[in-house]
Amino acid sequence: MPVFDQGYQHWSGTLTGHAWRWLAITRHGVRVALTNRWLRIALFVSWLPAIALATALCLWGLLEQQSALIQSLTPLLGFLDRQMLLDPRAYRQEAWTLAYGYFMLTELRLAMLLILIVGPNLISQDLRYNALPLYLSRPLRRIDYFLGKWGVIVAFLAAVTVVPAIVAYVLGILFSLDVGILRETFPLLLASVGYGLIIAASAGTLILALSSLSRSSRYVAMFWLAIWLGSGVIASVLQGIEHEQRRHASERFDRRNPSTFVEQELTAARTDWRPLVSYAANLARIGEELLGTPAAWDKVANLRAGSERDMARLRNVGVQYPWTWSAGVLLALFGLSAWILNRSIKSLDRLK
Amino acid sequence: MLFQFSNITKTYGAVTALNKLTLSVPMGAIGLLGPNGSGKTTMIRTLLGLISVDEGTGQVLGKDFRRQQLDIRREVGLAPEDECLFPHTVGVEFVAYAGELVGMSRTDALQRAHETLDYVGLGEARYRKVESYSTGMKQRLKLAAAIVHDPKLLILDEPTNGMDPGGRQEIIELSRDLAHNKGMSLLFSSHLLPDVEAVCTHVIVIAAGRLLAQGEIAQLKQSHSQSYEVRVKGERAPFAVRLREAGCTAEEYADVLKVVLPGGATPQLIWKAAADANEQIRHLRTQRSTLEEVFLTSLEQA
Repeated sequence: MPVFDQGYQHWSGTLTGHAWRWLAITRHGVRVALTNRWLRIALFVSWLPAIALATALCLWGLLEQQSALIQSLTPLLGFLDRQMLLDPRAYRQEAWTLAYGYFMLTELRLAMLLILIVGPNLISQDLRYNALPLYLSRPLRRIDYFLGKWGVIVAFLAAVTVVPAIVAYVLGILFSLDVGILRETFPLLLASVGYGLIIAASAGTLILALSSLSRSSRYVAMFWLAIWLGSGVIASVLQGIEHEQRRHASERFDRRNPSTFVEQELTAARTDWRPLVSYAANLARIGEELLGTPAAWDKVANLRAGSERDMARLRNVGVQYPWTWSAGVLLALFGLSAWILNRSIKSLDRLK
Repeated sequence: MLFQFSNITKTYGAVTALNKLTLSVPMGAIGLLGPNGSGKTTMIRTLLGLISVDEGTGQVLGKDFRRQQLDIRREVGLAPEDECLFPHTVGVEFVAYAGELVGMSRTDALQRAHETLDYVGLGEARYRKVESYSTGMKQRLKLAAAIVHDPKLLILDEPTNGMDPGGRQEIIELSRDLAHNKGMSLLFSSHLLPDVEAVCTHVIVIAAGRLLAQGEIAQLKQSHSQSYEVRVKGERAPFAVRLREAGCTAEEYADVLKVVLPGGATPQLIWKAAADANEQIRHLRTQRSTLEEVFLTSLEQA
C-alpha cells in the first residue's frame, strides 16, 4: 500500500503574528537543553544559594522583631557586630545589600558554569547540521533567530538570578512585618533584577558569538573557559605581580603603620586596570556598583575599631577602580559579539 | 497566478544569477528545470523573499515578494536541497518545531506533526532522533516539516537527490498526491527529467538566469506532423538510403529510424519506399518530443 494512502488532511487553524516568533526558538532551546542531565544538576546546585539568601533575609526579619525563634540562634550570629545585633533595623539595608551581594557573586560564578553547559550548542550545532536554511525559509528574520537563541541563555540565567532574587525578596518582606522595608529595599530588588539581566545580556551575547564561530561545541566550550577562567587567571597573576611590588615598597616605607598600608592599597586599587582583564571581574564590578555593596561594607567596617576595621576595609580593595571602566569593557565585548554574530550568521542572500 | 516575475535581475558580484527573468506561472504542479548554476536556487530564494534583487518586480500568491516576505513564507513550505536538520530532536519534535516557527500553537503543531509524519510514512520513526534517519527518511522528514502548516505552495528543491529507487518513487508519489489530489501547488526543482515528468503538468526551463522554455508538458511534447519513427524488419541502413533518395531526412536512433518527410509529403511516401525496397514496416508512428529533448533543445537554442 503506498504510504500516502494513510491520508492527508488540510489544516485550517490560525497562525500567530510575527512579534513573538522568537519565543518558539527559545522554548525549543530550553526543552532541548533540559534533556541534559548535567544541566539539571547544575540548575539544582544554582538554586542552593537562593535558599541561603532567602534564609538570611528571613532570619534578619526575625532578628528585627527580636523573635523568640531567633534567640536560640543568636550565638551563631557572633560574626555580626554587636551594634548590628542590638539595633538590626538600623542596619537592615546593609544586611540585605550584603546578602544580595554575596548571592549575586555566587550566582555569577554558577551562571558561568550554566553557560558552559547550555551555550556552546546553541548556534554551533545549527551550523553543524545546516539548520539555518530551515529557520530562514520560514517567516523569521535573523533578529528573531538571534533573539530566540539569546532567550535560551536569558531563561536559564534569569531562573537562577532574577527569579530567586524576587522570591527571596518577597519572603524577606513577609518575615519583616514592616511596611517601611519596601521603601528601603525596593531599589535593591530593582538592582538585583537589573544585574541579573545585565549578566544574561552580556554573557548571552558573548557565548552566542563564540558559538557562531565553530561547528564544534567542544571548541566553543574551550573558548568560553578561556574567557571565563583564563582571563581571570591572567588578571590574578597581573594583580599578584603588582601587589608584590607594592608590598615591597610599603615594607620599606610604612611597615609599622597598617592604616597607612590600607590607605595605600585602596588608593593604588583606584587606578589598577588589571582586574579589567578578567571578564567575570568586570561583571562583578558592575554588580558591586549596582547593588551598592562597597558602601554597605564601609558602613559595617566602620562599626569596628583599629586593625579589624582596616582588615574589613581591605575586602573592598579589588573594587576601587571606576565601574565605568568595566562597563566600557563589557560594552566593547557586547559590540564585538554583535559584530561577530552579524558576520557569522548570514542571510541566504549569497551564492553557495 | 502562482507567481509572476517581471524583469528580475540578481547578481552576486560578477555572477548574474537571474538575468531579466520574466515569467508568469499558473497554479498547479510546476517543474523547474535547469543545469547546475542556472539560477534555480536563486529563483526559489527570490520567491521566498530571502534575497534582495537588483531590479524587477514580482508577486507570489498575490503578494509582493519585496515587501511581504514574511507573509509569503507563511503560505509557502520549502524542503531545501541540502541535508539540514534541527539537531538533537526526535522526528515528531522536528516537525512540530517547524510548525511553531511558522506560527502554529504548540498543541496544533504537535497534532499536525503526528498527522504529517503518518502521511509521509515516518509514523514508526517519530520518536527516533533525526540524526539517525537514513537519507530517504530525512527527505520525507523535510517534506513533513514543509507541509505541517498546510501551505498553499510547496517548494521541493531536488527532493530525490541521492535516494535509492524505492525512496525516490515514494517521494514522487507523495508529491504527485499533494499536487494532484490535495490541491497544493507545487514547485518541483530537479535535474531528473523523469521525476519532473512524473509529478508535474507544467515546466519552466531556465539557464544562465534566463527563461528558455515554459508551458504545459503535454504541449511542449507536441507531436511533429512531418516526423515519424519507423522500425523495419530488415536492415535499417539500406532503407534509410532509399528514404533519403525519396527526399526524406532519415537518421538511425537506437533501434528506430527517425524520418522527416519533405514539405507536402504524406506517410504514403514511407510505405512506397518500403515497397520499393522490398522491406516490411513493423512500426510507424508520429514522433513526439520527450521532455529530455525539449530540455536539450531549449539549451541548444540558448
